[in-house]
Amino acid sequence: MRDTGFGAIYWTVRIAPHLVIFAALLTLWEVAVAQGWITSIMIPRPSKIGAAIANLYVIKGTIWEHFFITLGEAVFGFLIGAVVAILLALFSSLSERFERYVSPYAVVLNVTPGIALTPLIIAWFGYGMGSKIALAAVICFFPIFVNTLTGLRQMDPDREELFRSLGASNRQVFFKARVPAALPLMFAGMKIGLTTALIGAVVAEFAQATAGVGVLMARASFALDMAGSLAALLSMTLMGLLLFYGMELLDDRVVFWRREARMSAVSRARAKAWKARRGQRDEKNNMGGETK
Amino acid sequence: MTPEGARLKWRRRGNHAAIFLGLMALWQTGSWTGFLDPLFFPAPLDILASFWRIYVTQGNIWYHLYVSLGLVLAGFTMGSILGVGLGAVVGMNATVRRFLQPYVIVLEATPRIAVAPLLIAALGFGPQSKIAIIMLVCFFAPFINTLSGVLNVNRDRMELMRSLGASKMQVLRKLVLPDAIPVIMAGERLAMTSALSGVLVAEFIQRDQGIGALILTYTRNLNMASAFACILTLTAIGFLIFKGMEMVDHHVAYWKNEAGLKRMTEKRARAFAARRGGLAHA
Repeated sequence: MRDTGFGAIYWTVRIAPHLVIFAALLTLWEVAVAQGWITSIMIPRPSKIGAAIANLYVIKGTIWEHFFITLGEAVFGFLIGAVVAILLALFSSLSERFERYVSPYAVVLNVTPGIALTPLIIAWFGYGMGSKIALAAVICFFPIFVNTLTGLRQMDPDREELFRSLGASNRQVFFKARVPAALPLMFAGMKIGLTTALIGAVVAEFAQATAGVGVLMARASFALDMAGSLAALLSMTLMGLLLFYGMELLDDRVVFWRREARMSAVSRARAKAWKARRGQRDEKNNMGGETK
Repeated sequence: MTPEGARLKWRRRGNHAAIFLGLMALWQTGSWTGFLDPLFFPAPLDILASFWRIYVTQGNIWYHLYVSLGLVLAGFTMGSILGVGLGAVVGMNATVRRFLQPYVIVLEATPRIAVAPLLIAALGFGPQSKIAIIMLVCFFAPFINTLSGVLNVNRDRMELMRSLGASKMQVLRKLVLPDAIPVIMAGERLAMTSALSGVLVAEFIQRDQGIGALILTYTRNLNMASAFACILTLTAIGFLIFKGMEMVDHHVAYWKNEAGLKRMTEKRARAFAARRGGLAHA
């Protein structure tokens, strides 16, 4: 997108009211607590929260270690859960029998609140990162499994017929038609799964852990340090946003045909590559002609 | 169903049962021979014995179930009503929506359950903080879904209704809500599931009573068989909730399924006929 100078004005006009409202809300909140309309034990002043954030991130910098531990737990758990879920969904979509005999267990796993397994998983995998990764993997499994399976099933019969009539092999139908058709839903499932994985990691940290943002938050709130606790919570929000937009970016890259702009960009790039290839071939052909 | 189909169905059920029993037998022998660590995999017979004990001989689970499910019900009702109400208000008003959007995005990215320790510290130990946690967890899915349901209303139909002189209230009641109900119900289903998780987390942190505290106590004592029995109880509850919500969904969004549509059409035809009959009498 080219910046015509227009964009900047547009964004100022759009964003300024939001900022004004946000600032007004914060001021109101600050005044309300300072005047004692709201008890500061329950809801600390925004300036205190700001100070706590500055303390966590800059002055003491205690958050970083915990931040990356929790992020790592969530991402690892997600990867394990997603790989298992996608493999199982692939097998289920390929073999009806496999699906018939596996799906009852998947349903049972789905209706069990995965969080209920927290104490067991901690007893099994210990107080370290292992148990957090395991819980994250268990609770992010299901949305990914269901979405991938639904996506792989919802193939347009006309499209399959077209592929068949053009002589596509089974493998081609699967990889060129069925998988691309499933990708949007799969990504929707993975977006949900990633957020759930973060919840899993954090809950396991609440239950029993030595490090992580969850521990930091639980410690702060049990010390009635509400500002510190909120600062830790906001770090989790940041983490959630990071994970979500990361996934969104990946979604945008992989499922490029869903968005107009990306679609035309990819088409342009492919057309260019094709032209370059054709140009090379033509050159070769021409040279061939000259030698004759 | 043809007799063949019925036979096939029963044969499949038989296969399922056989596989399940086979797995259990394997598990049981594995435990007997010491192949499987009872810490990880308590023997199926031990789990059955635990079921018997916590439900019948000791009967201690009933109280905890009663406490937890009461909290779930209270929190879910309040949270989802709030969610649907606010969602409808925000969805109908473009300005409110525009200014709330950034906050909604930020709140959506926050793992909601993570607010639990904060709420407990703010509201103190006791049922009120647990209910607050469940409310918070239950609020979001219905809120977001109602919002998107209201926003995705069919513009052409809305224009048609407006041009035929329908009031705002009529548009809401006859077009927006019916169109949004399937999506709202999907949100309620999600909320109900997360309510169960919410109560568990609240009870893990605040370990006084309830099914979550019970599971925690059993695992602390390494009584894995009883912990499994509690978790399987939760599975059953989860299943009942799932089926129950499905039934409610079928009933409320009756036009989405054949049987419901037929039932409602017949009912309306009867009511219409009765009214016409009454008119004829007059």
